[in-house]
Amino acid sequence: MSFEIFISQFFGGLSVAMLLFLVASGLTLIFGVAKVFNFAHGSFYMIGAYFSYQAIALFDNFWIGAVAAALGAGLVGMLLEICFIRRIAGREEEGAFQILLTYAFILILDDAVKFIWGPAYKTISKPESLAGSMDFGAVTIPTYNLFIIVLGLVIVVSAWYVLSRTKTGKIILAASTDTQMVGMLGVNVSLVMSLVFGVATAMGGLAGAMAAPLRTIAPGTGVEVIIDSLIVVVIGGLGNFWGALFAALLIGEVNAFGILWMPQWASLLSFAVMIVVLIFKPKGLFSREKGRKKI
Amino acid sequence: MKRKTVSLATALLLCLTSAVSFAAETIKIGALYPMSGRGGLYGQDSEAAIKIALAEVNAKGLPGGRKLEAIVTDDQSKPALAVTLAKRYITEDKVKFLYGVVSSGAALAVTEVSKEYKTIFVGSDHAATDLTANAFQKYYFRVSNNTYQSMAAGAMYMQETKMGGKIAYIGPDYAYGRDQIAELKYSLGKLGVKYEMVGEFWPKLYEPDYTSYITAIIKAKPDVLVSGFWGGDTVAFIKQAKAYGLFDKMKYFHPDGGGNYEVFSTLGAECPEGLIMSARHHNNWPDTKENKDFVQKFHKATGRYPSYAAEGAYAGILVIAEAIRKVGNADDTEALIKAMEGMKIKLPEDPAGFTSYIDPKTHQMAQAQAIGVTVKNDKFPPAKYALGNMKVYAADKIMPTQEYIDILTKSKKK
Repeated sequence: MSFEIFISQFFGGLSVAMLLFLVASGLTLIFGVAKVFNFAHGSFYMIGAYFSYQAIALFDNFWIGAVAAALGAGLVGMLLEICFIRRIAGREEEGAFQILLTYAFILILDDAVKFIWGPAYKTISKPESLAGSMDFGAVTIPTYNLFIIVLGLVIVVSAWYVLSRTKTGKIILAASTDTQMVGMLGVNVSLVMSLVFGVATAMGGLAGAMAAPLRTIAPGTGVEVIIDSLIVVVIGGLGNFWGALFAALLIGEVNAFGILWMPQWASLLSFAVMIVVLIFKPKGLFSREKGRKKI
Repeated sequence: MKRKTVSLATALLLCLTSAVSFAAETIKIGALYPMSGRGGLYGQDSEAAIKIALAEVNAKGLPGGRKLEAIVTDDQSKPALAVTLAKRYITEDKVKFLYGVVSSGAALAVTEVSKEYKTIFVGSDHAATDLTANAFQKYYFRVSNNTYQSMAAGAMYMQETKMGGKIAYIGPDYAYGRDQIAELKYSLGKLGVKYEMVGEFWPKLYEPDYTSYITAIIKAKPDVLVSGFWGGDTVAFIKQAKAYGLFDKMKYFHPDGGGNYEVFSTLGAECPEGLIMSARHHNNWPDTKENKDFVQKFHKATGRYPSYAAEGAYAGILVIAEAIRKVGNADDTEALIKAMEGMKIKLPEDPAGFTSYIDPKTHQMAQAQAIGVTVKNDKFPPAKYALGNMKVYAADKIMPTQEYIDILTKSKKK
């Protein structure tokens, strides 16, 4: 394999990985902090894409679309947390309720977008400044894909900064370890939960807006991204932010080179990686616990 | 006085019963379409087209003054659900015809119900060749093309335009994607077209990101990329591939569903020029009165132009009405089958001088297939492109051969 092909395939995989990370990071954050398994997380990706489509139709500006997507999805996310998810927190049968409730969100949001925007596919154009492609010797990389990679890195660095260098970040990390204790220390835990939910769903919405120029949006799009995000979250360790980053990169690159070397089996590869990880590290790569305890 | 009251009551009762019996006289069609999710567009377009066709055939009148009526239910493209709904249609709603279905998987399940309950099933959309070949049963009819017809026409186009050399294929990893390339290879072999396969790529259906496939295809350096995508997947692939300059490096050939209107309406000005594609129905071709009327009626009813699915849904209702007219009622199923076998019917997608007909042996509608290239055309907004420079392939030249049906039967039995 020549160096050009390696680079071309590597950067392709990287841009796929970054979009995957944007969705999966929100999913894992909600699980880590609020202990909620948000099955509907992909639906926030979908409504983000629709919000951005609508804002662009109104203002003809891609960046306003991106802001609208993040704000809109984040607000809907917070609203659903305050009105519904909070009500089932702490119940004995909470786990089953979470699945039912968030699954209901998928159906409701799917029908809501169909009602508002119709069943036809939607897509948006790339902003003009990012529409071209860049040539690096024999390797062509679309500018927009490079932008996605850079955006992903910016989000990774900002998340690192917030989580490890700010008080808010420390509260979030503490809440993910022991919610009760944080509450006893005088922190408004339910506010923290709502904010985390809002930020995580906003990231999902932003991912939708960023993906929309490359993909198509339709009612049901959310379910298409949730499976891959789930794989990423499971490999990285449920609730582990850095695990999600590592797993997204792993899946993106394994797929990129799998498609090159064994295209017949490419769609199985993510599952194969997940199975291998689950055998040796049942709680994910970045969990502290070791594999099954020996009896 | 008393008598008068009684007779009044009797008259009233008579009126009521006649109204009831009149209502009972409608002939019911039980239609199954996806109304939600990715396939929802096709279900909604099909429902709109069914309404247009019903208005036409009911206005023209049916034997005994009866009316045709269609019930449409969301089958979510799930075989198990489609089977449950089909059975309910037959046993509870007493439908005379099963109708529609977008997913070939669901259709293969529904055709079994049709066989078991001896109820005619008119397929309006799904494309798996199996239904009119190895999975054929006499109560099934299909009024739209199957993939074999598209790929046979595609092979003829390749021969005619001397397209060959190195070929790569990309299509969704399920029956629809797998069948298309197998059928193209078979037809190319029959025509003696020389080619070399340099890669086959199988993303899953609704794969959101094709970036890694695109770079791998460019690396394989084919002369022609044959594509078997469907609907929104076509749009996503084209958008992503365009940024990599894929369309400058090879010919893009998509003979079954590439030229669907919803691809053009979604891509708008972003559609590349010179892609070679086809579809089961085109809004801008043929330039016949039937097609123009159909497209305009659809636009008037819905405010949008139809996707390919609408024309199939429209055609099937015309076929059913014509069969009932021939037989004189909708109760004699065997006579209806006889009436539909070999039926000739003028449809919107028929070019001038050609009339679609139902092959009596396989119950597959024989239709001409037109393949063209993308050119600027803003007559059907929001699309900015459509197919032009059409090459037309005669219906009888592209029907599945008995030899191919035998091959299918043998291979699927394993």
